[in-house]
Amino acid sequence: MQPGTDPGAGAFDATARVADRLRWFFLPLALCALVAVGVHTAADVLGELLLRMVDAADAAFDSLASRWAFTAPLVDLVGPSQRVFFARGVALLWELAADALLALPMLGYDERGDEVQRFRELAAKAWARPTTLHLVGPFATGAVALAGSCAVGRLLEGTLHFGLRGALGSAADALAHGCALAAVLGLVGFIAWRGVVHALVRADARSDRIPGGRARRFTAGLPAGVLLLPLAVAALRAAPLLSFLR
Amino acid sequence: MRRARSLADVVLAALCLWAAWYHTPPGALLRAAVARLTGTRDPTPALLSYYGAGARPFQLAEPLPPRAALSPGAALGLGAQSALERLSPAERAEVLSGAGLRSGSADALGDWIGREADKQGSREAAVLSLFCGEEAARFARQRASGPGLEELARQLPPRYEDRVALAATALTLGTAYALAWPLPDSAQVTSPFGVRAHPLLGGRRLHSGIDLGVSIGTPVRAVADGLVRRASDDRVSGRLVLLDHGSGVSTVYCHNESLLVSPGDAVKKGQVIALSGNSGLSTGPHLHYQLDLPQGPADPLRFRAARPPQLASGGTEP
Repeated sequence: MQPGTDPGAGAFDATARVADRLRWFFLPLALCALVAVGVHTAADVLGELLLRMVDAADAAFDSLASRWAFTAPLVDLVGPSQRVFFARGVALLWELAADALLALPMLGYDERGDEVQRFRELAAKAWARPTTLHLVGPFATGAVALAGSCAVGRLLEGTLHFGLRGALGSAADALAHGCALAAVLGLVGFIAWRGVVHALVRADARSDRIPGGRARRFTAGLPAGVLLLPLAVAALRAAPLLSFLR
Repeated sequence: MRRARSLADVVLAALCLWAAWYHTPPGALLRAAVARLTGTRDPTPALLSYYGAGARPFQLAEPLPPRAALSPGAALGLGAQSALERLSPAERAEVLSGAGLRSGSADALGDWIGREADKQGSREAAVLSLFCGEEAARFARQRASGPGLEELARQLPPRYEDRVALAATALTLGTAYALAWPLPDSAQVTSPFGVRAHPLLGGRRLHSGIDLGVSIGTPVRAVADGLVRRASDDRVSGRLVLLDHGSGVSTVYCHNESLLVSPGDAVKKGQVIALSGNSGLSTGPHLHYQLDLPQGPADPLRFRAARPPQLASGGTEP
């Protein structure tokens, strides 16, 4: 060690250096995890809507299946007891499909030094030649990443509150709340927006491959839009950003 | 500067992975796998139970002794007592001492939950307070956007998962114990709950409710406050009403002559929701009354105060 060197600063530098070298590894993982948490939070909000849809679909199916003797036993296939199970199953499938469309591609995130500039260029290009893909992927990713950030903040707040209460008493409440707010702001400011950039990069690459005119640009990505847009709206509902400021 | 930011990013990435471990189905699967490998006592995280994996059936005293009709408070006490029986004696003692209770009787628990509900603002928060402690209930209530147990539970860290599951069980059973009866007590049970040879469709099937023989046009009443989830007509179940009473409890009323409610209606306990009949696949006028809990259909008679008279044989299925 050099005379006069602070050992604490040396350790900090060494750790920071290692962290910097591993960005290619942990940033994609973090993005994937954050988006998956947000998707799960959004899927939770859709539970009630799905239950109503399953009830309506089950009533229609029973009405149809009960008309013929050979299909009548199928009426019991989704009985009232299974309706909640089916609704939750549909929510789980929806969530896993959204994970496949939004979270898993985040593992391919490739950081550039000029991310803000890249975002501006891609946004300008999307504005000039918009496609459904340009809208759906980045919007849904942004919404679920926001919901995911709030869920992480909430988890951190609860864990710190109950972990530190014994040692710090009522001060644990303020500390936990402050840390949760910092985590949410940090996640939005350092991690979540990278997800939107990556979603825009992917949408742009796929949009470039769409042949034909305006109609084709609209229809390409429409099925994914139908799947992801309700989830994105639910994610915005599940992101109580303001609650962290109270 | 970049390196300092990398450090911050590492911390934030760790937070994301930690949250995914607890708040995503793949994370729950991994936790279950790790718990199995390390031999942890309960390898099924609550998130997987939510999707039906490894859900444990309710443990009820079998059969329940005949008893007087229960008030909602007393019913909740009985539900909490049944849920507490899932814990080891040491854990049970810990819960009771946390609540300042000497006895774990249904009456004592019911009284305590009633007082706590006044303080916490809802019975869900009160039951959460019993199982997770007053501080946890207060913390959850202050941050939740609604009074439901699921919303309250979302505010709590993962270490409360098991206790929240017990609170949910207590609420479910408490709701079920407080149910009234849809018909006058004189209505006879013409076909009980359980596996039986189906009189019309053939084969051995689970009769998921009980049949109560009544004449056509008898008023059918809601057994508790609830929301009409379904009011429909088909050729097997006939005209049916499905009521959601919250806490995972729902009731179904089949083979009616006419329905007096529509999907989305809020109904009150004792409100006439239908007139009984002989619609659908049926061998005679009766009401098929079904009670559904999160684990599946349950025998309504196990939650009934006074048992209705039962016929020795016969059936009016399905």
